[in-house]
Amino acid sequence: MIKIRDLEKIYRTEEVETVALNKISIDVKEGEFVAIMGPSGCGKSTLLNILGLLDDPDNGSFLFNNIEVAHFNERKRAELRKHNIGFVFQSFNLIDELTVFENVELPLIYTGVKSGERKKRVEEVLDKMQIMHRRNHYPQQLSGGQQQRVAVARAVVNNPKLILADEPTGNLDSSNGNEVMSLLTDLNEQGTTIIMVTHSEHDARYSHRIIRMLDGQTVLENIMV
Amino acid sequence: MHMLRNYLKIAFRNLWRHRVFSFINIMGLTVGMTACLLIFLYVRFEWSYDRFHTKADRIYRIVADIKTPTETIPADRPAWAVPSHVQLDFSEVEAFTRVLPDNVLFRKGDVKFTELKTLWVDSTFFNIFSLKLLKGDPHTALREPFSVVLSESAAKKYFGKEDPMGQTILATGEAIPAIVTGVMQDMPQNTQVNGDILLSMSSITLKWAKGIDDQWSNYSPYAYILLKPGADPKAMEKRFPAFLEKWAGKEMRQSQMFVTLKLEQLKEVYLHSSRGQLAEGSQLGNIRNVYIFSIIAAFILIIACINFVNLTTARATERAREVGIRKVAGAVKTQLARQFIGESVVICFIAFLLTLGLSALLLPSFNHLAGKTISEGIFTNSSLLLLLLGAGMVIGLLAGIYPAFVLAAFKPIEVLKGRFATGSKGSVLRKGLVISQFAISTALIIGTIIVYTQMSYMRNRSLGFNKDQVLVVDTDGDKKTSALQETIAHLPGVKASSSSGSVPGSEHQGAYSELENVKGDLQVTNLDLYFVDFDYIPLYNIQMAAGRPFDPKFKTDSSQAMILNEAAVRMLGYHSPDQAVGKRFKQWGHEGKIIGVIKDFHYKSLQQPIKPLSMRMEWPRFKLISVKISPDNLKRTISAIEKEFKTAIPNRPFSYYFLDEYFNRQYQNEERFGKLFLNFAILAIFISCLGLLGLASYSTMQRTREIGIRKVMGASVSNIINLLSKEFLKLVAISFFIAAPLAWYFMHKWLNDFAYRTSISWWIFAAAGILALLIAVFTISFQAFKAAMSNPVKALRTE
Repeated sequence: MIKIRDLEKIYRTEEVETVALNKISIDVKEGEFVAIMGPSGCGKSTLLNILGLLDDPDNGSFLFNNIEVAHFNERKRAELRKHNIGFVFQSFNLIDELTVFENVELPLIYTGVKSGERKKRVEEVLDKMQIMHRRNHYPQQLSGGQQQRVAVARAVVNNPKLILADEPTGNLDSSNGNEVMSLLTDLNEQGTTIIMVTHSEHDARYSHRIIRMLDGQTVLENIMV
Repeated sequence: MHMLRNYLKIAFRNLWRHRVFSFINIMGLTVGMTACLLIFLYVRFEWSYDRFHTKADRIYRIVADIKTPTETIPADRPAWAVPSHVQLDFSEVEAFTRVLPDNVLFRKGDVKFTELKTLWVDSTFFNIFSLKLLKGDPHTALREPFSVVLSESAAKKYFGKEDPMGQTILATGEAIPAIVTGVMQDMPQNTQVNGDILLSMSSITLKWAKGIDDQWSNYSPYAYILLKPGADPKAMEKRFPAFLEKWAGKEMRQSQMFVTLKLEQLKEVYLHSSRGQLAEGSQLGNIRNVYIFSIIAAFILIIACINFVNLTTARATERAREVGIRKVAGAVKTQLARQFIGESVVICFIAFLLTLGLSALLLPSFNHLAGKTISEGIFTNSSLLLLLLGAGMVIGLLAGIYPAFVLAAFKPIEVLKGRFATGSKGSVLRKGLVISQFAISTALIIGTIIVYTQMSYMRNRSLGFNKDQVLVVDTDGDKKTSALQETIAHLPGVKASSSSGSVPGSEHQGAYSELENVKGDLQVTNLDLYFVDFDYIPLYNIQMAAGRPFDPKFKTDSSQAMILNEAAVRMLGYHSPDQAVGKRFKQWGHEGKIIGVIKDFHYKSLQQPIKPLSMRMEWPRFKLISVKISPDNLKRTISAIEKEFKTAIPNRPFSYYFLDEYFNRQYQNEERFGKLFLNFAILAIFISCLGLLGLASYSTMQRTREIGIRKVMGASVSNIINLLSKEFLKLVAISFFIAAPLAWYFMHKWLNDFAYRTSISWWIFAAAGILALLIAVFTISFQAFKAAMSNPVKALRTE
């Protein structure tokens, strides 16, 4: 599903040049659950952003479903993104002014799904995430675990092929964290590819494969058994 | 559609969540739009003068420049003979009417009024002006001598519910019976040719002053001509010199008064003509004021829009996360831009609704302030409402575009990671906007102070005569004027009295005169002329510069004596007033000697320089009695005067005024201008402060952590207030240096219209600068103080 070769990303300011990704090459197959680990500043979030088509690389090749997307413009990236990729963030990133239902509905609106269909799909996914009873609440009225479940619901409502999770349990206690991890595992078992950046060895153990990064490069790959 | 609903939802919830800022934003826009709307109505009204006449494009006023050996007089009317002869010689002219404004006494039974808005007009009046005749034939109504056309309200006043057509009403002091031949709709306010009662001009030309139609040196009525379609007024003007030479060449050479005729388009007269106008006093329009208020309106709107842009972009940091999430959820830049523009349009729409309410509320007071009914109501005109709605939406679009694109351009990963910082570019822009807001406000403060300084200068400048405690009784030239004055003089409470033709500030004659100049020649000139009696100069305490005042001891004083003012003496070339005494004069059939020179006094408003003035005695011309009264028992004195008046002149209504009020009425326009200026300056400052308040609180919010750290490090409350205020006060200071020269330039130009004016001194700028600074300090300090007093631990926890 994903094939990147010699990918480079360099951040430049007037005085300093920081190499975030240094000719990195990775493959991710469809249906895989991959964890990316590494110390702060090793480039894992940059990698995730490029994989999520939120950012573009400076050099190298990025094949997404066999399409070269490395130099797609913003509009094309957005198009590809909204149909194929779901995101889960450490800080949930829900819109405070929208209810649970409306937050989850958002990606469907941007993909142009009709109102009746939207309602059905949002309710389905809320039900699956067991937060249906909170559908009319605002994010601030929910616990952290509930908020993250809403965020996961929002990520999967469009049935994306790929979910990118950036430290999804970082802001949660262990029981809520475990709950979110099992949600992701379930999704993976149903066929969704998952790439997760994490600091937690415990969470990483849910994945099939751990890619360890340092200074913008992969240093080690562990296959989980 | 669902996207739109989503946007609206977010918009309203956002507004509600940030109530204070929404309030500031909407309030600023509302106040700005209201001010603009009111000014728009005012400007539209001023522009509308005389444009409603269907033939307005073809109606011209004939005016004359009269060149005497000493000056050129820009007259607002030509000689009596001009319009009829112009029609005779110029095939381009379809019709003409003369319009002679007058105050005429009318009586019907017990109902009697001196009608201040009476017009003597030719029978073609209704053919030229689009004024609707409700009863009577517009072509014949004013043909016969002593025909009268009443306005609807005048008809009601004199005849009640009766049909006035064909009835008789007594006109003038001589009680001449006039037949009502028509009833017209009340004239609209936006016309200079404004009368309540029309009398046929033939009463004068065929009855009272036969032959006046052929007079080439008597200037009384205004003259309007209707040109045929396609006629070229410029070409006509070129042929006027030959026309005048043909008819009046000899007379002009004899009198040494050379006339140039010009045409002024009716539509342009009210706002653009520098000459006199039929609509007098406070009715006079002024294109300069229209421009000034249009500029102020634009400024206020700009300030309000600046606030909007400023507050919205300042809040960008807060909205950034939402933008990031939406982008991650699949939104593209244009969708987001549309959302934010939509939000600003929503805000503008709310402001628009509030503007309608506020304007409707303020309109009556604004009408009062403007001194005329500029609009009957906001909701009466649906096209105006649509225009406003459109304007509101455009403002929403314009004000929303910049913030929308700033917001929509955020990079999602950066903002979601909290790596977002307000760009220095944005803050430079915001600073620039604050500077321009305060520059406009400061300029308006300076302008207001200068307008008021000039007003107070005009009120307090020594006029060269004493206008206090002088009551003026109007006898309308009744024969018993002097006899009545004799009686009044002996009433208790009356210190002195005098009969005259004019008082300072009132109308006066202009007379063709010949005076002996320094070379010993009789110099032809047009002199302002006051008819006064023996008591006039002492009553008004006008000072003598040379010679003596009129004196009953000298028999010749009543017919062969003239007094000049210093300006007249200078015009004749004398170096001192003494030289003029004893010199010869000829004026309106009288000859004699100059017996004295009075010091210059302001007999007109301070807008105008003191002109050469002559004074003579001629009893039949007296129509005003000036009464110097003691301030005690004022009421008793006035009612005693009224009693005597009613006994002496029973068929005229008793009317009087206090001279100081009457004289100051000339400044009504300036006073209104000053008040409007002040009000709009306050509005502009208010909106600017709202903006500053909003920005200051945002800036404070953004620096919460910094403030916390500084406090932990030992900063005092005053340190913090200082830190936060300094940034904004610097901007206010910069804006002062932009405002000062601009304000100086424009106000200097404004003052140039006054012949006597105050100087623009440094303290005005200092005061305005300090005031702007104080207002800004007051606005900011509230926020700064709140921030400085907050618990630093709480501030650091927001990390």
